[in-house]
Amino acid sequence: MEAYLLNLGVLVSIYAILAVTLNFIMGYAGIFSLAHAVFFGVGAYVGAQMAMHVSASLFVTIPAAMVVAALLSLALALPALRVRGEYFVAASLGLQMLAITVFSEWKGATGGIGGLVGIPAVRMFGEDIYRPAAFFPLAAAVAVLVLIVTRLLVHSSFGRSLTAIRDSESAAESFGKNIALIKTISVVVSAALAAVAGVLYANYLSFINVESFTLNTSVLVMAMVIIGGTGTALGPVVGAALLLILPGLLSYLWFLPQTEIGAIQQIIYGLGMAVLMIFRPGGLVGRSAGARKRRKRDALKAAAGQSEARKMEGAK
Amino acid sequence: MTAQVTEATLAKADPSEEVLLEIRGLEKSFGGVRAVSDVSMDLRAGIVTTLVGPNGAGKTTFFNLITGHLARSGGTVRWLGRDIGGMKPYRIARLGIARTFQDLRLFNDMTVEENILTVMEPGALPFSVSGPSAKEKREKVARVMERTGLADKARTRAVDLAYAERKFLSMARIMAAEARLWLLDEPASGLDPNSYATFLRLLREEVAAGVTVCIIEHNLDIVVGISDRIAFLDRGRLLADGDPKSVLEDPELTRIYFGDRA
Repeated sequence: MEAYLLNLGVLVSIYAILAVTLNFIMGYAGIFSLAHAVFFGVGAYVGAQMAMHVSASLFVTIPAAMVVAALLSLALALPALRVRGEYFVAASLGLQMLAITVFSEWKGATGGIGGLVGIPAVRMFGEDIYRPAAFFPLAAAVAVLVLIVTRLLVHSSFGRSLTAIRDSESAAESFGKNIALIKTISVVVSAALAAVAGVLYANYLSFINVESFTLNTSVLVMAMVIIGGTGTALGPVVGAALLLILPGLLSYLWFLPQTEIGAIQQIIYGLGMAVLMIFRPGGLVGRSAGARKRRKRDALKAAAGQSEARKMEGAK
Repeated sequence: MTAQVTEATLAKADPSEEVLLEIRGLEKSFGGVRAVSDVSMDLRAGIVTTLVGPNGAGKTTFFNLITGHLARSGGTVRWLGRDIGGMKPYRIARLGIARTFQDLRLFNDMTVEENILTVMEPGALPFSVSGPSAKEKREKVARVMERTGLADKARTRAVDLAYAERKFLSMARIMAAEARLWLLDEPASGLDPNSYATFLRLLREEVAAGVTVCIIEHNLDIVVGISDRIAFLDRGRLLADGDPKSVLEDPELTRIYFGDRA
C-alpha cells in the first residue's frame, strides 16, 4: 500500500510538471497546444540516451533534454504563431501525429515501437535513486521547483505581457508588445520545462516507449489543466492528482463490474467534464462564472453611446 | 461642391510647429469599397485635431492605417520624416504613437494596477535591463491612478470596473505609455456629466504637458471645447480640414453630418 501511494506520488509529481507547464501557455498566453506529450517524450528519450551513454546525473540529462525540447518547440512556434489561435491547435496536432511516427520508427534514437530498456537510475550522493520512497521526494522537489519558476515568470513583466496578449492582442500590440516573440518565448519555456518531466519519467521507469507520449497523453494533460483550473497557480496540480487518483479509487468500488472499469472510467470522465464546464467553467480551483458575461458590455455600451450621441446631435 | 468646401476651409494649422505625422494620399479599399480615399493631413506637435464625420466615414480605419493594424492600399505615412508604412503595430507604438479603442480592449483579467504597469513594460524579457526601476514604475502607476480617479481600485480587475472607470482605465493606460502622439477613439462617449468634466480636465492637462492628440469624437462640446483643428471625413474622403469655427459653420458639412433634418 505504501509503495502504491509513493508510486502514485511520483506519477502525480511528473504529470503535475506537465500540467503546470501546459497551463503556463494555455492559461497565461491563451495558446492551446495538443503537442505537450511530444516535449514530454523528447525529454524522456533525450534523458534516457544521455543517461545510457553519457551520464545519469540529472545535471547532465535535464539540461540536454531541455535544450533539445526548446529547439524542437521553435520549429513549432515560429511558423504557427504567425497565424491565429485555432491554427496553432491544428499545427500542434500535426506535430503530435508526426512525433508519434518518429518515436515509433526512429529505432536508433527511440528504440522504435519496443522503446528503450535498461535506462540507468538517477545517481545522487553516490546512490542510485529508483525506489519510490527515494524517488518521490526527488520528483516532488523538481515539481515544486518547476511550479516556482513558472510562478515567478507569471508574476514578472513577462507574465503581465502574456496575460495582456491573451486578453487583447491588438491592445497589447498598440502598447509596443512584440506578440510573436513573447508567445514564442512562452512556448519554448513551456516545452523545455515539460522535458524535465520526461527525464524523471525515463529514469524512474527505466523503460520507455511511444505509448506514453501519444495524443492521449496530450489530451489527458489538457484535461488536468482544464479540470483543475486554467490560469490558476495550483489548479493544474489538483487536476493532475485527481485524474491519476481516480482510476485507482474506482477499482475500490466493489459494486462496479471490475472487468468494465475502463469504460466506466471514460463515462465518469466525460460526465465529470460536462458537469464541471456547466457549473465551474473556470475549473475546480478557478473562479466561478459571471465575469465573462461583462466582456461584451464594452462593445455594446460603446455602440449605444455612439447612437445616443448621434440622436442628441440630430435633435439640435 | 466638394472641391469648394475643401478650398474654403483648408488647413491653416500653425506652420511653425514641428510635423509629427505626415500623411499623403492615404488609401484603403476593402474589396470594392474605398474606406479611406486620398487623405492627406499633417499632425503637428501640440495641436489637438478632432476627426468628425458620420458613421462609416472611415475615422477608425484612418487610425488603424496609422497604427499599422491595417495595411494601407496606397499613400505614405511618415513619422518625423521616416516612412512607417508597412511597419508592424508594435514597432509603430514604440516610436511614440499610442491609441485607445472605441471598445476599450482593456486587459480584462488583470487588475487596474497591472493594466497600467504592463504598458510601461513592452520588452519581452522577464527583467528589465534598462529603463525605469521597479520603484519608479510603481510610483508612476500610483500617479496615473490618482489622476484618473482609480487609486482605490488598484487591485480590482478591469472586468469588474464600472463603465466610466473602464473608460478612465483606457485613458490611464495611454497616459502611462509615454507616447508623443495619442489617437483617441471616442474616449468620452457614454460618460456621465461628472466623469465627462474630469475627462476634459485630464485631456487639457495632458495637452498642456506636450502631448499631441488626434481624437475621434461625436460630442460637439468636445469638438469645440478642446480642438485646435477639425478634420471632416465623409465616405473616406477628407472634405475639410481647418479651424473649428470655419468647419462647423460650413452649411454643406452640417448638412452631410446631420442629414437633412438640420
